Amino acid sequence: MSSPTVIYLGVFFFAPFVIVLLYAFGMVGLLRQFQFFPTLEYFLEFFDSVAPSVFGRSLLMAFATTVLCLLLGYPMSYHIAVKSGRRKETLMLLVIIPFWVSFLLRTYALMTILDVNGIINVTLLSFGLISEPLNLMYNMQAVLLGMVYNYLPFMILPLYASMEKLDKSLLEAAGSLGAGPTRSFLHVTLPLTRSGVGAGSILVFVPAVGEFIIPQLLGGTESFMIGNLIWTLFLKARDLWFGSAVSIILIALVMLMVALYMKYITRGEEMTI
Amino acid sequence: MRKIGEKILKGYSLAVYVFLYAPILIMVVFSFNDSRLLAVWRGFSLRWYETLIGDPTVWRAFYNSIWVAGLTTIVSIVLGTMMAFVMIRHSFRGKSLLDSSLYFPVVIPEITEALSLLLFYVFTGIPLGGLTVAVGHIAFAISYATIVIRARLVGFDRSVEEAAKSLGANEFRTFLHVTLPIILPGVMAGGLLAFTVSYDDFIKTAFTAGPGFQTLPLRIYAMASRGGVSPQLNALATVTLVVSLALAVVRLRLSKA
Repeated sequence: MSSPTVIYLGVFFFAPFVIVLLYAFGMVGLLRQFQFFPTLEYFLEFFDSVAPSVFGRSLLMAFATTVLCLLLGYPMSYHIAVKSGRRKETLMLLVIIPFWVSFLLRTYALMTILDVNGIINVTLLSFGLISEPLNLMYNMQAVLLGMVYNYLPFMILPLYASMEKLDKSLLEAAGSLGAGPTRSFLHVTLPLTRSGVGAGSILVFVPAVGEFIIPQLLGGTESFMIGNLIWTLFLKARDLWFGSAVSIILIALVMLMVALYMKYITRGEEMTI
Repeated sequence: MRKIGEKILKGYSLAVYVFLYAPILIMVVFSFNDSRLLAVWRGFSLRWYETLIGDPTVWRAFYNSIWVAGLTTIVSIVLGTMMAFVMIRHSFRGKSLLDSSLYFPVVIPEITEALSLLLFYVFTGIPLGGLTVAVGHIAFAISYATIVIRARLVGFDRSVEEAAKSLGANEFRTFLHVTLPIILPGVMAGGLLAFTVSYDDFIKTAFTAGPGFQTLPLRIYAMASRGGVSPQLNALATVTLVVSLALAVVRLRLSKA
């Protein structure tokens, strides 16, 4: 009975990836007449192109996003987890609601603040604090802000889940044995919420590496990421072969990280998202 | 000492909440602004919504979004329910492989899925348009729908089905009158999630739509990347946002039912 579903996914999900693989290794032509002389030239081209620096930048941006989300999300998750009853539910709901709004809309919302005619520039100009509008968009910082803004809930949810499970009596025990707040945080809270930190980091880092909309709308040439590169190669340059090779390398990279992800998150927890 | 720590924590969290909500609120508020200027308040007005209503390209995009999401929902519900049933009730070789393959579309970067589908269409010579978009949306919406519906099937008491059968109902009648009403909230929640991921999707749509087909997210993106921010775009984004939030609220209700 599941065969129609399996066939559908086979044809429209898995087969396309096989085609990407074939193109990356040098297939030419279309279904009716194609030729395939396996070659590594497109993978070798990778190292002679801008791609390695774009990959490096994407990894760096994803890493910075993860660290910033952790810094913003950890204290906040803790603050929510120690509350009780309705208050806790409301505070958590307020974290989940932005999840329901798409990245595109949230990134656009950020533009209404950062734009030349946006609220920051208009306010500063009207108070005479600046005489020319500031260029707040189309740079690395704007992209980073957009990434943290969009990905923060992905970090808070698993952090909160791990802190919820934390047995508070352990902290009391640490306290009564003479540990100060810093010591009990470092030796009790932090180790016990490590799984949340790991899961949240992977949940932010993995999609952030392949992010497209945020750098496309908020970034400029200095913040060009893998997603922008793939977009340009496929929809602008129409270089399907090199584009495929770049994508295969991205997929391999993500697979590696997903292996980590599987290690940290149980499948049941994913469904709450 | 402890008091001060709590105050700092509270202030910090409040700041993060403001960070999460301020941009969205500002966008919504200024969509009702009676001014061409984006960030100077001139009084309440619905003029930007009126220009939206008078814009045929917006209506076209809205219509496209709805039928693509509707088709995606129907197909994903049927295929997702079938898949969920098999995975809960039967054991077979390759089940764990099938199980983990269900999570591929959820974790793989969407852009790689989008370009692979584009290559597939190019390779097979299928012309791009609304249908190729829907086919692509279904390919990932099935996974979301299956995961939600399966969660609903976990606690299913099969003795009620056996009771119906021993009272003389055939397979089909049993499914229609006993099984379906019980799993319906789960199926509807899965369907709503499928509708939402399709309705909100930008990347996959952008790769597989071809030049003549536009959904709401594509329209918003085109306006945002060409002309930057504008009060009219604020209004369009607000309408799109309200639909997304309404869908989520209904989904939440269903999952609690």
